[in-house]
Amino acid sequence: MINQIKKNSRVISVLIKIRFQNLMMFRLGFFGPFFVDGSLFLIQLIVFQTIYLKIDRIGTWGRGEMVLYIGTFSMINAINMFIYFFGVIGIPDKIKSGEMDLYLTKPISPLLRLTFEKINPGSFPLIIMSAFIIAYGINLVNIQITIEKIVVYVFWIIVMSILFYELEVIIRSISFFVISNSSITRIEEAGLELCMQLPGIAFYGVYKLIFCCILPYGIMATIPVQSLVGDLNLTGAIYGVMVVVGFTVITCLIWKRGIKNYNSASS
Amino acid sequence: MRKYIEIAKIYIKAQLIWRADVVLNMVFTVTKILFAYLLWGAIFGSKAEVAGFTFHSMLSYYIISAFLNQLDMSSLISNEISTRIRNGTFSKYMILPVSIEKYFVAMESGVVTFYLAFDFIAAIVWIFLFQIKFVFTTNLATIACAILIILLGLLFMAQLNYYLGLLTLKYQEIGTFLMIKNNIVAFVTGSIVPLVLLPGAFVSIMKLFPFYYVTYLPSMLLIGRFQNERIIGLIVIFAWCVILQIVIQVTWGKYRRKYDGVGI
Repeated sequence: MINQIKKNSRVISVLIKIRFQNLMMFRLGFFGPFFVDGSLFLIQLIVFQTIYLKIDRIGTWGRGEMVLYIGTFSMINAINMFIYFFGVIGIPDKIKSGEMDLYLTKPISPLLRLTFEKINPGSFPLIIMSAFIIAYGINLVNIQITIEKIVVYVFWIIVMSILFYELEVIIRSISFFVISNSSITRIEEAGLELCMQLPGIAFYGVYKLIFCCILPYGIMATIPVQSLVGDLNLTGAIYGVMVVVGFTVITCLIWKRGIKNYNSASS
Repeated sequence: MRKYIEIAKIYIKAQLIWRADVVLNMVFTVTKILFAYLLWGAIFGSKAEVAGFTFHSMLSYYIISAFLNQLDMSSLISNEISTRIRNGTFSKYMILPVSIEKYFVAMESGVVTFYLAFDFIAAIVWIFLFQIKFVFTTNLATIACAILIILLGLLFMAQLNYYLGLLTLKYQEIGTFLMIKNNIVAFVTGSIVPLVLLPGAFVSIMKLFPFYYVTYLPSMLLIGRFQNERIIGLIVIFAWCVILQIVIQVTWGKYRRKYDGVGI
């Protein structure tokens, strides 16, 4: 187990080095993801600041909680863009073109390589920007911040980043079984667009089932914020962990099944 | 004119090839409506009126605004021009015996005409599904003005995207800029929230720019508000179309020689 971790760490470090060399060749769009997603979340911030000029609360959340929510979603998205997004989105094309063969023949996990081979350092400023938004939110909420709260919050950010990663892998792995997964990626886009703007507390009934259970984008930033402001009860915390564990199992099953189903370029 | 009508017809037919896309485009208009329904549902739970909107007039605004947004497919123009200049196949348009800009406007007209009926059906479905008491003006003069502003708004967006696409001749890679533009345009056209919620000074400044008139003003006019702005709206958006046309002519004249037809 320790040997495996050591080997994987070496592989990841080599992949990062290669990626940097590659990025130095194509410097034109280095900070592109930062500007695109940065503008998106800043606009989001302005939108909710605007709405809160006219009202005091949305459900039980005031302006501070909403700023925290936007900052947290931005942080999870930033981690996604920084580490795995650009690698994972390439899965369908690699399946279609047969390029996945190259990944399967290497003596490392193909998913590990796909995850870390296209880290994007240009997205790192997004993490800093998100941290500023979160700090601003904390200031607005006016809560007592303790080391314990920060540790729990960081734990939830990591757990929800894993959930985001798993959802991306599941959706892209469907390409192992179908000719085109464009409809499914559009569902992902629609779900993300909605949950980026609406916290989980706004969902009820069937919408709650869809966005907090089937496509759990609704809990991704909501649970970390609830943990920070002290709104997260034990049931909520257990539910959050169970969802992530459940999706980890589903991801492993779909990926393994997909690899078995893979027939090179004819997939 | 006949050749441009033929181009529009070809693009109407071409949409039939991607029937699944048509259905998905219809279905995904629901995202904005659902966002509005849940967000404003939570807000109006404790308030009867926000910035002159009731819950149902707010949802009516989003229905109309989502419908207009869905119709505007002009980002296809900038993407197509940018991609073709980058890979050196823009020559295809340069050798055609047509005006390139008019070709793209005709293309946009064809696509919009095709999607018009489907987006209209989608809007009707959402009204019934979300049980919205749809608010719509009965003033015919306002409806006529709103339609004219919508058409000029669509033309303006087509011109804007054509102009941005041409900038590839100078800057080579504008993909990132186009994505940022999409984010900003969604906000300043009032697609995310009605601009009336923003501070008055900001809205006054926005009135000088064309984006106020692309989606926001027509949507407000159609739900029966801002009737006094309909004429000035028509004048301003028309003036912006003229200004942008001049800018396009100058840009095209200046940068077209930079195109070498071999790609980057």
